[in-house]
Amino acid sequence: MKIIKSAFPLVIALFLTYAMNQSWGTLPPLGKLFSPFHGFWMNAESPESGEPTEEILQIAGLHQPVQVVYDEMGVPHVFAQDDHDLYLAQGYLTAKDRLWQMEFQTHFAGGRISEIVGEKGIASDQFQRRMGSVYGAEKSFEGMKEDPAAKMALEAYSDGVNAYIGSLSDRQLPLEYKLLNYRPEPWTPIKSALFLKNMSFVLASGTDDLKMTNILRKYGREVAEDLFPNYPFQESPIIPVGSPVDFKPVPIPAGPADFTGLGSSMSTPEKDPNIGSNNWAVAGNKTVSGLPILANDPHLTLSLPSIWYQMQLVAPGVNVYGSTMPGTPNVIIGFNKNVAWGVTNVGSDVLDWYQVKFKDASKKEYWHDGKWKKTTMRIETFKIKGKKDMVDTIFFTHHGPVVYLSHEKPFRSNIPVGHALRWIAHEKSQELTTFYQLNRAKNYADYAKALTYYSAPAQNFVFASNEGDIALWVNGKFPLKSKLQGKYLLDGTDAAADWQGFIPQAHNPHVKNPVRGFVSSANQFSVDPSYPYYLGWQYAPSERGRRINERLAVMEKITMDSLRGLQNDNFNIRARELLPLLFAQVKSPNAAQSKALAALKSWNLVNSPESVGATIFENWVLTLQDCLWSDEFSADEKVPMSRPSMDRTIQLIKSEPTARWWDDTKTPTKESMSDIVMKSLQANVDTLVKQHGPQGPEWAWYKHKQTGVRHLIPGMDALSRLNIPIGGGGTIVNAATTKTGPSWRLIVELSKEGKPKAYGVYPGGQSGNPGSSHYDDLIDTWAKGELKPLLYLTSPDEKSNRLRKKITLSK
Amino acid sequence: MKHLIYSLILVVIGALVGIYLPWYAMGVAFGLLAFVLNMPLKSSFLTGFIAGFVLWVVAALWLDLQHPSTLPSRMAQVFPLKGNVFALFVLTGVLGGLFSGIWTWAGARLRQK
Repeated sequence: MKIIKSAFPLVIALFLTYAMNQSWGTLPPLGKLFSPFHGFWMNAESPESGEPTEEILQIAGLHQPVQVVYDEMGVPHVFAQDDHDLYLAQGYLTAKDRLWQMEFQTHFAGGRISEIVGEKGIASDQFQRRMGSVYGAEKSFEGMKEDPAAKMALEAYSDGVNAYIGSLSDRQLPLEYKLLNYRPEPWTPIKSALFLKNMSFVLASGTDDLKMTNILRKYGREVAEDLFPNYPFQESPIIPVGSPVDFKPVPIPAGPADFTGLGSSMSTPEKDPNIGSNNWAVAGNKTVSGLPILANDPHLTLSLPSIWYQMQLVAPGVNVYGSTMPGTPNVIIGFNKNVAWGVTNVGSDVLDWYQVKFKDASKKEYWHDGKWKKTTMRIETFKIKGKKDMVDTIFFTHHGPVVYLSHEKPFRSNIPVGHALRWIAHEKSQELTTFYQLNRAKNYADYAKALTYYSAPAQNFVFASNEGDIALWVNGKFPLKSKLQGKYLLDGTDAAADWQGFIPQAHNPHVKNPVRGFVSSANQFSVDPSYPYYLGWQYAPSERGRRINERLAVMEKITMDSLRGLQNDNFNIRARELLPLLFAQVKSPNAAQSKALAALKSWNLVNSPESVGATIFENWVLTLQDCLWSDEFSADEKVPMSRPSMDRTIQLIKSEPTARWWDDTKTPTKESMSDIVMKSLQANVDTLVKQHGPQGPEWAWYKHKQTGVRHLIPGMDALSRLNIPIGGGGTIVNAATTKTGPSWRLIVELSKEGKPKAYGVYPGGQSGNPGSSHYDDLIDTWAKGELKPLLYLTSPDEKSNRLRKKITLSK
Repeated sequence: MKHLIYSLILVVIGALVGIYLPWYAMGVAFGLLAFVLNMPLKSSFLTGFIAGFVLWVVAALWLDLQHPSTLPSRMAQVFPLKGNVFALFVLTGVLGGLFSGIWTWAGARLRQK
């Protein structure tokens, strides 16, 4: 009895120790986290100041020492003596700044988030794996390994990441590991493949086939084709109209029989449609320097740590600077002494759904081309934190995975149940070879050759060289389709509905040194309808592309600074077209509406941060689309439908004022176009007053839009930067929206002497550590529309007052 | 006075243990010390609490002075302290104190047959 009594406090102490060493739901392990010898206090890093510091780090596996100098932005300039050491150092140094992010993003891509966050991650994880992310990465990895240079880079990179992981004690772990209470696992080369495949998820997984089939079922083909046309009313395609065609097209497949699928689905939230990008290159005859200038700003979800990490990589045969993606070797967007390149996404249709007819409940056989064929099965095991493992079976037809069976609830509303997925992301591919070669490209021929290895996600690769060439290839692997094949759900039993091979890469849309003196892309239609192949029916809205092209057409004596101006252009071309049409329909507005209209009439059509007119206009576009389309389209959430585009809406206002769509079918009265415009104006003003109070400075565009750069852990506001004062918008060249925007801005002025002048910035910072001054130090520069000069060194001993730190990596 | 000397011993040992061993080793060490030094049971919790509180606050302060950063104010938002860094230091001290106090008490109690 006595012993029990004296041991009682010990039991409490042991229990308390256990409790403080554990996470409880979202509460981190308090003891481990707050102990100043182990927890978050250890993660503070002071800004460098004064004399540059020098350090030597031992890393196993290096052939020779590697010199690394860091500039004041925290960009490492890496000087290695061979490729192997270069990529090993890239892996090591990237992990040093971004380890948690690299692992978290690949866990997400591989459907393994529930290993970190427990049960709440399961639906997302299952969706990732059912879409075939791991399957696709495995196939892609096979392809990458076929190129010895890419294989070596992948393996050396992986060794570098592991050298860093191996050097970490518990107390040195990045903050997020401490908050979420887990440890990094070893890196493997296939994780790089997972990361690259995830870019297809981000950029090439959009799919409206289900919604289009729902529309087809409700309204028939004529209405569907009328309201969802296959080329916009207003467009300025990427490949200028009339560009010469330098190939003889292969025959187009006959295409499937007409088919109206079962459609339908259930509803859940959807992904952001605002992911797009701008790039362009102007020829020397339009620039002050007489040599081409290239500009690129890929728009992605804005996150902390940033998706980009700047680096300069130097070894015999290569000296490249640009932004890398943590998790993969090489520079993705950048320049070397002779050339510069950039990318924007191509909205071609590379994802199709096939309605599957299984023989019976065992799903072992499916009907195709007049016979029963065998499915294959893939078993996926999910390790769930705090729970037992979950095992899931994915059925594959020859098309690809059946993402959801008929009785299952899809993770996203645009994913049909009972359909097999045919997707370019499942193809064997060699993207790494493309980047490896682009990093070393000397001229147009090298660039064109590098692109032949690239599959997905398809990109508009813009290019400029110091030989004076500018070019743009709409590049990737594009399925060879009959016209409109895959606009709607396809019949999985019809062999003619299968993809019939691919468009030969040399036939991909491209243009070199066009007469107009510039090339550009902003995710709009790649080509006009005269292009011999069908690529897709729906691309990003044309406004950004049209604005960029109208500006570049008139700009002369171009400099880096005038292109910086264009990257930050906030002019609202949509407002220029739409507002006069709307004003003409206004009748008897009330006082608040009159005040809003007055603000719109005096507005300079620029989406500047402080603009009130921009807020009223942008919100009006939303309420107008609601008032016009929500009665007929997507009212029932079990049968989701797309809405006609804004391009089609403007066409309707301009030329179909009495179309049946103007009537609100939910009311007994018959509405006219003017009634709907007034109704939308009322809804617009009412919602703005409700959100921000009476019209005034609180209606400023940036306050309404709320652009934020958010930490990768959802809801982690303390590690995010919110409410950033920046203008722009989704259809504005400066494409900053609430959650997406220019994720990296680059401008490169090439030089004959091999001394390119480059400027860049991204909304984040080089360090992934929230305790470092480099965590978010570039955001303000980015928001102001300014760029940082990029330091392009030729030797580690080159003098510069911007150098802060020198590290020698030695074996 | 004696209590303060005990606390001081704990602080020194706690720092050494903290630098070289996992975080919970501090508690075990305090329990052992309380047992070996036969610390008075009555004041044992307070002795340990003061030692843990002082050690964690001083060490956190020292790190913050060595590496001034925005991390403390961010962490004071991760934990709902409205960005108040002072409150974060107090919370650090209380957690260290509580943990140390209980272990010191446990060690002292074990000695009392």
